[in-house]
Amino acid sequence: MAKTHFRKAQEQRILKLTLRFILSASLITLVLWGFYSILEQNYIFRWGLALQHLDSFNKGLMLTLQASGLGLVLALSLGLIVALLRLSPFALFRDMGTLYVHSLRNIPFIVFVLFMYFGFARAVLPRPYPNITLLGWDIDDRLFWGALALGLFEASFMSEIFRSGIQSIHKTQIEASRSLGMSYAQSMRYVVLPQAFRVIIPPLTGEIIALIKESALLLAIAVNELTLTAKTISGQRPLQFEFYTILASYYLTMTVPISILSHYLEQRFNIHRRRS
Amino acid sequence: MISIKGVQKWFGRLHVLKGIDMNIAEGEVLVLIGASGSGKSTLLRCMNGLEKIQEGHISVDGLDIQASKTNLNKVRQEIGIVFQQFNLFPHMTVLKNITISPTKVKGISKSDAHITAEKLLERIGIPEKANVYPDQLSGGQQQRVAIARALAMNPKVMLFDEPTSALDPEMIKEVLDLMRELAKENMTMVVVTHEMGFAREVADRIAFMDDGVIVELGTPQQFFENPQHDRTRQFIHKVLQA
Ligand SMILES: Nc1ncnc2c1ncn2[C@@H]1O[C@H](COP(=O)(O)OP(=O)(O)OP(=O)(O)O)[C@@H](O)[C@H]1O
Ligand SMILES: [Mg+2]
Repeated sequence: MAKTHFRKAQEQRILKLTLRFILSASLITLVLWGFYSILEQNYIFRWGLALQHLDSFNKGLMLTLQASGLGLVLALSLGLIVALLRLSPFALFRDMGTLYVHSLRNIPFIVFVLFMYFGFARAVLPRPYPNITLLGWDIDDRLFWGALALGLFEASFMSEIFRSGIQSIHKTQIEASRSLGMSYAQSMRYVVLPQAFRVIIPPLTGEIIALIKESALLLAIAVNELTLTAKTISGQRPLQFEFYTILASYYLTMTVPISILSHYLEQRFNIHRRRS
Repeated sequence: MISIKGVQKWFGRLHVLKGIDMNIAEGEVLVLIGASGSGKSTLLRCMNGLEKIQEGHISVDGLDIQASKTNLNKVRQEIGIVFQQFNLFPHMTVLKNITISPTKVKGISKSDAHITAEKLLERIGIPEKANVYPDQLSGGQQQRVAIARALAMNPKVMLFDEPTSALDPEMIKEVLDLMRELAKENMTMVVVTHEMGFAREVADRIAFMDDGVIVELGTPQQFFENPQHDRTRQFIHKVLQA
């Protein structure tokens, strides 16, 4: 009884939200349309033509996903390690973590990418570059260095998120678990991190979205991801408005579901953290 | 079972334990009382290594807690502790709270751990709560689960730090009753509490702490009827009036 009632209320809420969204979107379109008709126009929209280039966009999407995926795995794992370093009882480890975080957080990402690909890679690797293989997958070296830069850079942000999440878990939880004979690692794994995870979900998804958006800057080292693809083909055909609109909607299609998933997870995990 | 010798402890410049000497025998129930800030919790927490001491020795079941060659994780399996605020794991069900350490730390099989946990839940009178989360339990139930969680490790010693102080009056009894039972089964226990009735009835000995030292140590009878020290007398006078 109570459940169906709850579900009904939720359905109504979703319906209402959808209607509100459609209404506001149409209003904005109307305003834009108004501007458009007032201004003197010499731009002709050719959506049909533009949409014929979706294949190129999809290729770019693959690279964006690969760079973001690799970067994300690296950012999450290194981020967790750096967070644990910064929470370590040993001052040397803490300092190393702090140094890492503060050096990377305080330079623009594009500078870091350029440095990694044109600076670091050339300084340390013999030329011509050796082929890079990861688990049997031949990675293009620009993609490799781009993803690496993305991962290293974002790890500094992720680590801060992890750190504050871990610190938000009360010390008494660690004491209780250690008193039961758990090692530091077990206490982290079974008691602290699962609880920290709930606290972390909103800022973490924000950072994942930031990472995907940042991958656009890999165009600086000629990774043929989405943004560079859009830029290249709009140099070939005069359909810039269409191409960049399509580009923006590709990013929205990746990032909006992540936001929604985040809300969903947050609500699911929030049920059991009222007390204690 | 527990031997405490010349223990001194500082928090920064604050001298909290100023030379504690005491032995607790196997099966003994020692109740530790004293004014707020006298160092009771600190002493208890030193006994399982949650706090480090700067001088002296504490050994439990023959193992020196401070020695660097002692594996603290191992020793702690023998020492259960129950806190004032329960400190259950809020993201785990009651059953998981009780089985996590036996399975992950001791390597006991899941099914064996479940059987033990179910027996313990039976014993604390809430077998039907195995699959609920701690925040769906009353305070008294939470504290009993915390005791069950400690008992699941089959410890040789149980430490209690004001286990009933955070409870509503009507729930105090259920927790104290459980502790009484444990005492009857000859569990070695150190209990910090303000429950004078419990101390008088259950304690083998009472230790009275004041300002980082143990002022008086004796049987409940000696303690309540014939205290040797002024400070003890004042304390008893105060608590019996309240
Ligand atoms: N982690 C800490 N850091 C600094 N000082 C502390 C710490 N823990 C306790 N103290 C101080 O040590 C003294 C003894 O504290 P303790 O908690 O052992 O007292 P207690 O006898 O348990 O008191 P209560 O009855 O209030 O629980 C107090 O002055 C307290 O402020
Ligand atoms: Mg205390």
